Amino acid sequence: MADLLSVGIDIGTTTTQLIFSKIKMENTTGYFAVPRISIVDKEILYQSEVHLTPLLTETLIDSDGVREIVAQEYQKAGIVPSSVDTGAVIITGESARKENARAVMERLSAFAGEFVVSTAGPDLESVIAGKGSGAWAYSLDHHCEAVNLDIGGGTTNIVVFSEGDVIAKGCFDIGGRLIRVENGRITHISPSAKLVAESLGLSVQVGNAADAAQLSKITDRMAELLAESLGLLPKSALLDAVTTNNSTPLTYRTKPKTAVFYSGGVANRIEPLSAEPFPYGDIGALLGASVFRGTLFGETTAQQSTQTIRATVVGAGMFTTTVSGSTITCTSAQFPMKNIPVLKLTPDEQEQCFLGNVQALISRIRWFCEQSETEQLVLALPGKENPEFPEAKRLAVCLADALEQTLPKDAPLLVLIETDIAKAVGILMRSVLGSARDVVCIDCVRVEQGDYMDLGKPLFDGLVIPIVVKSLLFG
Amino acid sequence: MNQELIERIVAEAIRQLEQSGCVVLPNRTEEEIVPQPCEDIVSPACKAVPLLENPLDPEGLARMKKQTTARIGVGRCGARLKTQTALALRADHANARDAVFADVDPKFLESMGLFQVQSACKDKDTYLTRPDLGRLLEKPTLDELKKRCVLNPDVQIYAADGLSSKAIEANLGRILPILVQALEDKGLKVGTPFFLRYGRVGSEEYVAEALGAKVVCVLIGERPGLATAESMSAYIAYNAYVGMPESKRTVVSNIHKNGTAAVEAGAYIAEVIDKILEQKASGVDLIK
Repeated sequence: MADLLSVGIDIGTTTTQLIFSKIKMENTTGYFAVPRISIVDKEILYQSEVHLTPLLTETLIDSDGVREIVAQEYQKAGIVPSSVDTGAVIITGESARKENARAVMERLSAFAGEFVVSTAGPDLESVIAGKGSGAWAYSLDHHCEAVNLDIGGGTTNIVVFSEGDVIAKGCFDIGGRLIRVENGRITHISPSAKLVAESLGLSVQVGNAADAAQLSKITDRMAELLAESLGLLPKSALLDAVTTNNSTPLTYRTKPKTAVFYSGGVANRIEPLSAEPFPYGDIGALLGASVFRGTLFGETTAQQSTQTIRATVVGAGMFTTTVSGSTITCTSAQFPMKNIPVLKLTPDEQEQCFLGNVQALISRIRWFCEQSETEQLVLALPGKENPEFPEAKRLAVCLADALEQTLPKDAPLLVLIETDIAKAVGILMRSVLGSARDVVCIDCVRVEQGDYMDLGKPLFDGLVIPIVVKSLLFG
Repeated sequence: MNQELIERIVAEAIRQLEQSGCVVLPNRTEEEIVPQPCEDIVSPACKAVPLLENPLDPEGLARMKKQTTARIGVGRCGARLKTQTALALRADHANARDAVFADVDPKFLESMGLFQVQSACKDKDTYLTRPDLGRLLEKPTLDELKKRCVLNPDVQIYAADGLSSKAIEANLGRILPILVQALEDKGLKVGTPFFLRYGRVGSEEYVAEALGAKVVCVLIGERPGLATAESMSAYIAYNAYVGMPESKRTVVSNIHKNGTAAVEAGAYIAEVIDKILEQKASGVDLIK
């Protein structure tokens, strides 16, 4: 048994939140088999209040303010940053587009704990929110497809799971705080809200009186855009216009009765509109009511989310860490390693390695290092299920030679194989290299080209390494 | 079974499948339905297709079949199994029996550079009916081992057929070289590997005593089942002696292509042996 203390911090368009959770790991195989360490339980230890994200100006996050909030919450929870093993700081929605987003993140992850990752990117947010809301677990438990819409202040992040696999994801500039209202007057209109209004022939200006009936038309259109995005209505040109930059195009067609989960701040207001149209000084309640009346809610089966406004922070805290396979090779002590780019070989490129073609691999690595402006990388390959010994040896020699020649002298050689053969390959690599080079060879983790990885301190006496795979850093 | 009969059976099976609607072959005209080159009905691909007609939840059945090698969703004909299921079952059973009764090919042992010795069993029938003799190595055999093997090694590894010769042929070429290399890389003295015919696990006490090995490790074929006939295990003991309790053995099981890959198992076993030498203990005494 081993416990990891994990932190999740989410700096969203509207709110900033934090949770601490405990991730329990255990050997799940019997005494007579090769061990397999798995995550067996997760438990939330502490949830922060929902804070408003402090801003200096429209385009600048108040970095000191955020740090202050986080420091206070650590104190309230009675947790010192050095005791945190893993987790994620994520900056989501419109906050990610602020000028100083990156600086805020870097400052925070340095403070929050040694092995806390900083991640961002609209696609990853969608997946994290979908895991936090319970949609992911539902799709696994019920062997079905499940959609999660995380409707926040600035964006709606959509993900579709099929039995736990992500089959579609996307992000749209649709949210509850795109139009803000104070004392009965409109104080802010986001560019995407303006586009929606214009498409309806409505003239909405900052300073106008906030007319609930008029604004409802806009939120109705927004709700129908969400239905369009999931294929329930024909796609309009406006949908493209409100798609978040860098978001993957959502290509999923929802079937009738599909399980749909709602999370994010607006999820709590998917109900008929109450007497007060602007309880939060924005169009959040109107948007919730529009979703409630709309095509999406009408034609699919809404499910009870386990988390709504906290879905993203819970996802970040509890679902970003995985573990490697339990038979690995690891001689390095330089953990944690953060933000290491992944070079993933194609099956053809891997075949060349199995044949011992070192030169091809060397040029591939050099090209990758130049393109990504990096000196360190995780070399990932699909692997084989049951390789012959000479094959495994040729592969190990090829990997060792190529990495030895391309990486800086003191850098550990990092290899990730998707099939369970890393201990063998790692041992054979060490045979070639001797003890001068550190080798970390892990398996049973799936990654894609362009991912980044964090590797934590080995657990269970070196049996496994905790890992976070990130799909996108700042663009 | 001759080729013609097999082709007829396969054609009939395909016809039944198509009729049942379980398999829809795209755009087939009448004349195209000719016997295909013999499908291997014991292959995983063939077994993955449910023979059950009109399942209520075909996707659910497919998912269940993915989780297990058990023969579920096979349907029936009256009170009986369908022909294909019955044939596949008999073929798998024959495979399991073959694994027990076959001998390890001497050419294979030669290619591995292993010499062969034999337990106190004179033949396969004795071996199967007298487990006690399968554990016993007689004096001439022990003398031969002493003559041909490095004495007093840190680790003595050898292979024995056990109840599956197929397990040896399928896995030994993958597991032995990496195991030896990984142990030697750790600076350990590895004894001369050999092959024991008609050998059971308990033979390792005799081997360890005769050769003065600190650790003995036998790679042995496991009793075949209907799912796999190629599963191998490693039984490892520290300071083994004749009469030693079973609880002193450390075992790593389920080594085969659908279990733990043999090269990976070899790498893992090397580490377990290292730990055994460090703690001077094996079996339940070993702290993993």
